[in-house]
Amino acid sequence: MTTAVTALSTSIQRRIGRQKLRKFILGAIPFVFLLVIWQMNTAFEWLPPVFIPPMGDVFGAIITLQEDCIGLIGAITMHNSCSMTNNIFSSMGRVILAAVIGLPLGIAFGIIAGMNRTASKFLEPIGVFANSISGIAWIPLAIVWFGVGWLTTLFIMLNTIFWLMFFNSMLGVRGIAKVYEQSVLTMGGSRMDVIRHVYLPGAMPSIITGMRMSMGFGWRALIAAEMVGGDSGLGFMIFTASEEFKIEEVFLGVIIISIIFMATDRYFLAPLEKWTIERWGLVWKPT
Amino acid sequence: MNAMTAKLVVEGLCHHYPDEYTGESVHALEDINLELYEGELVSVVGPSGCGKSTLLNILAGLLPYKVGKASVDGKVIEGPGPDRGVVFQEHAILPWRTVSRNIGHGLEIRGLPKEEISRRVQEYVDLVGLSGFEDKYPHELSGGMKQRCAVARTLCADPIVMLMDEPFAAVDAQTRITLQEELNRIALATKKTILFITHSVDEAAFLADRCLVFSARPGRLKQIVTVDIPREKRIWENMNADAEFIRCRDEILRLVREEVSVAIEE
Ligand SMILES: Nc1ncnc2c1ncn2[C@@H]1O[C@H](COP(=O)(O)OP(=O)(O)O)[C@@H](O)[C@H]1O
Ligand SMILES: [Mg+2]
Repeated sequence: MTTAVTALSTSIQRRIGRQKLRKFILGAIPFVFLLVIWQMNTAFEWLPPVFIPPMGDVFGAIITLQEDCIGLIGAITMHNSCSMTNNIFSSMGRVILAAVIGLPLGIAFGIIAGMNRTASKFLEPIGVFANSISGIAWIPLAIVWFGVGWLTTLFIMLNTIFWLMFFNSMLGVRGIAKVYEQSVLTMGGSRMDVIRHVYLPGAMPSIITGMRMSMGFGWRALIAAEMVGGDSGLGFMIFTASEEFKIEEVFLGVIIISIIFMATDRYFLAPLEKWTIERWGLVWKPT
Repeated sequence: MNAMTAKLVVEGLCHHYPDEYTGESVHALEDINLELYEGELVSVVGPSGCGKSTLLNILAGLLPYKVGKASVDGKVIEGPGPDRGVVFQEHAILPWRTVSRNIGHGLEIRGLPKEEISRRVQEYVDLVGLSGFEDKYPHELSGGMKQRCAVARTLCADPIVMLMDEPFAAVDAQTRITLQEELNRIALATKKTILFITHSVDEAAFLADRCLVFSARPGRLKQIVTVDIPREKRIWENMNADAEFIRCRDEILRLVREEVSVAIEE
């Protein structure tokens, strides 16, 4: 028995790598702790199930919400009865749309403001103004303008993503050593060469930080916007569930949101960081 | 000199830096005249702050000038261009490009076909002794290797004149000696015309056909010392006992010392 366990453990270690395994286990400990507390709460009834539902109920909520959903096909075609997956797709769709529009625009304007004094004098004050009224504070106004629906949620997200990306890219460009730009110019490079070969990669540490912040704050703003000014999405799902006292659906919604966000960071932002700034030696790494 | 065409000509060049805070200006260069002939290596020495980098930046086209004239191959300098290649003091190779992509950068900007670029890059990788490191990123290289890469990048773009601003100042003494010998060999092999700025008297004497000694600020051309030793013969082992080398070095040292003491008295 012990030998089998040891063999399994070494084979896992060999496959994933010791360092990675260690990181995974350490990172998982707080979650395991939370789950244990949760389970114990159900067992000893410290807080009644109206506040904290049993774990089983939360999983049960998936089935309730997807009751008449006909398998994967139903979920993908966003059939009316697949309410959970519909809300997930709806939120994710808006996040992706907002990211596809907001990130490149924010980066482009940020780079322009970072390299050009006039442009920065023009754009910075309005940026400070827009940033001072943080993302969700725009919700009431957005509802007046766009009504309840996807336009409002998209506006809230774009507003959050764009300005964060703008400021981070701008500061990123300003922080690049002058000598890189000069070396491209002395090789006969044009403005465009400097942008492509120096500003964009040189600002990458800031751009990635900006993406992390944009996506983090963007997600939060989206959920808030969906609660008040949306007609679908995970925020909407949580909000309606809480109004109907379906606490297990609220829990489910919160868990799904966290999982999607963690997955975005892990499968999109972390690899991007690895492929760019880590490879170029531009991040501080503990040795 | 064996060459007859002046590749770089500077006439009556002056420079003042405006001071944004006090309104006074810093007088950095005063009436600089110099000529650089084909295949020649001219070094510039002078006390710190005498305007050496100012001169180089003007010649590189990175700093606009108002008084005087500077031209390369008969063309007046009006901005940066591929006819002048610069090797900067700091590590100016791009951290996000591998060694070979850094070296081929100038050719890439010029829009040469990929095969041609990689063929020429390989040539310069070998010339500066970076074989095996083609796909490494700068942070994986030592200080000396980074500067070899910077030199190769400038050479590969094949400029008419190479401008070098204290390129070996940031590496350790042992590496510096090796780099100086290598630069001498490479400069001869490629027949490059080079303006080499340094604050090291030894370095200036070792590398140069002619050494221009600058006065303290405002930088003026104080004296020219001609180092009459065939450059093919220059390796440190021989130089330390070479009477002509010692004479030139001591002469340059004396001239620079005078200026340093002037600078201190001020
Ligand atoms: N951008 C600048 N603005 C104002 N003064 C400058 C600037 N750059 C250099 N200087 C001044 O000009 C003088 C010459 O500088 P520099 O050419 O860098 O000297 P060196 O390279 O010989 O050490 C110095 O006194 C320096 O303080
Ligand atoms: Mg200098």
